[in-house]
Amino acid sequence: MKPVALKTFIYEAADIYLFAIRFFREVFRPRYEISELLKQCYYIGNTSLPLVTVTALIMGLVITIQSHPAMEAFGTESWLPSVVSVSLVREIVPVITALTCAGKIGSSMGAELGSMKVTEQIDSMEVSGTNPFKYLVVTRVLAATLMLPLLIILSDTISLYGAYIGVNINQIISFHLFANQVFIKLSFGDVLPSIIKGFFFGFAIGIIGCYKGWNTTDGTAGVGKSANSAVVISIFAVFIIDLLAAQIADILHIT
Amino acid sequence: MMKDIKYDTNAIIEIKDLKKSFGTNVVLNDFTLNVKEGDNVVVIGKSGSGKSVLIKCIIGLMTPNSGTIKLFGEDVSKLSRQALDKVRAKVGFLFQSNALYDSMTIRENLEFPLRRHWIQNTKEKMKDLVIEALTNVGLTDTINMKPSELSGGMRKRIALARTLILKPKIILYDEPTSGLDPVTGKEISTLIVEIQKKYKTTSIIISHDLSCAKITANKIVILMNGKCYASGTFEELKMVNDIKVKQFFD
Repeated sequence: MKPVALKTFIYEAADIYLFAIRFFREVFRPRYEISELLKQCYYIGNTSLPLVTVTALIMGLVITIQSHPAMEAFGTESWLPSVVSVSLVREIVPVITALTCAGKIGSSMGAELGSMKVTEQIDSMEVSGTNPFKYLVVTRVLAATLMLPLLIILSDTISLYGAYIGVNINQIISFHLFANQVFIKLSFGDVLPSIIKGFFFGFAIGIIGCYKGWNTTDGTAGVGKSANSAVVISIFAVFIIDLLAAQIADILHIT
Repeated sequence: MMKDIKYDTNAIIEIKDLKKSFGTNVVLNDFTLNVKEGDNVVVIGKSGSGKSVLIKCIIGLMTPNSGTIKLFGEDVSKLSRQALDKVRAKVGFLFQSNALYDSMTIRENLEFPLRRHWIQNTKEKMKDLVIEALTNVGLTDTINMKPSELSGGMRKRIALARTLILKPKIILYDEPTSGLDPVTGKEISTLIVEIQKKYKTTSIIISHDLSCAKITANKIVILMNGKCYASGTFEELKMVNDIKVKQFFD
C-alpha cells in the first residue's frame, strides 16, 4: 500500500469512527424518530427479504450437494445434515446474508443520502427544524442493526431447508429425521454467535453506508462513488468483523 | 465605490463584520448589511463571490469565522439548537436546487415543515394550509404527485409553496431563477413580489439574474471581494459611473 493510500485509509477509518461516536451521542437524545425508524426497518427487512431468502436457499442446497461426494468417500454420509447445518448456521449464512445486505442496503443508503446531500435536501431538513443526522442516519443505522439478526435467523432456517432438499437429491430422508440429525449437533452455542454477529454486521453496514452518503461531494458523480465505496468498505468490514468474531468465540470457547 | 452601511438597530436582519473563509480562501470579509422589515434586498455578485455562503450563514447552516448575524434581534451563532429552530420557523429558505424530498409526494413535502416545527395543527387545518400554499403558486392539482413528475419551473413553485407554508416573516431566496427559461424566470420573480405584498415578508434574494433583480428588488447590494461593494436601487446603481458596478448592468 502506497503511503498516500495508507494515509487516506487511516483518515477515513478515523472519520468513520467519529461518525459512529456521533451516532451513539445522538441515539439516546430525544427527539426519537420512531415512525421513521419503523419505516426504515420495514424498508430494510422487506426489500431484502426476497434476495436474502433465495440466496440462503441456494447456499443450503449447494453446500450440501458439494459436500456429499467427499463425505460419501469417507463413509460419513450420515453426518451430512449435522456437518452442513453447523457450517451453514455458524459461518456461511451470516456472512452471505451480511454480504447480500451490504450490496443491497449499503449502496442504497450511500446513494440516497448522497443524492440528498448534493441536492440540498439535508440542508432543507435542517432548516425545517429537523436534526437530519437523527432523522436520516440514526434511524437507518438502528434499522440495519435490528434487522440484520432477524434476516440471519430467517436465512438460517431457509438454508437448512435448502440443505434438506440437497440431502434428498441423493437419498430419501424424512424431514423429521433430517431435523433430528441437525439438532443432535447444532447447539445454542452455534446459533447465538451468528445472531450476535448479525448486530455488528448490521451496524457496520448502516454506519458505513450512511457515512459515505453523508460525506458525498462532487455532485451527482459523487453519488455513484459513494454508493460504490459504501459497498466495498461494508464488505471489507463484514470480513473483519467475522474474523474478530471467530477469534473471540474461540477464546471464549463458544463452540 | 465603497459604500458604508451604518449599523441599524431597527433592522430585522443585521449582519455585522461577517467573515467566512474556507482554508485560505476568504469568501466574506467584514461584510455588513442591514435589512429593514418589508425590504426586498437582492444580493448580486459574480459566481463564487460568496452569495450562497452569506445566506447559509444567515440561516445557521454555516458558521462564520467572526462577526454577528442577528435575526429578529437574536444572535444566530449564540442560539441553542432549540432556540435556533424557533427562529428558523419564522424564516423561509428557497434552495437553489429546490431541495424537494424525492421520496415524498407534494402534500408530504409541504406538510413536513409543519410537522417538524411542532406546530400543533389538526389534519383539516394542515390540509387547508397545504391547499392555501399550493393555491398561492397556482399548482393545487399537483398535490398527490412526486417532485420527479414536475417540470423545473413547477418544482421551483412547489419549493416556494413549502417555504410559504409556515408563513415566514423573512424569506431567503438562493438563486430563485437559476436554471429556468427567461419566461418562467420572470413568472417566479413576479410571484416573489406578489408574495412579498400579500404576506408582508422581508426578503434577501441571492441572484445573478438582473431581470429578477429589477422586478423584485427595492434595494440591490453588490457583493465583491467578500464585502458590500455598492448598494442602492436598481436605477441608482445603473447610473453609477464605476467600472466594477457597470459590468453587472452592461
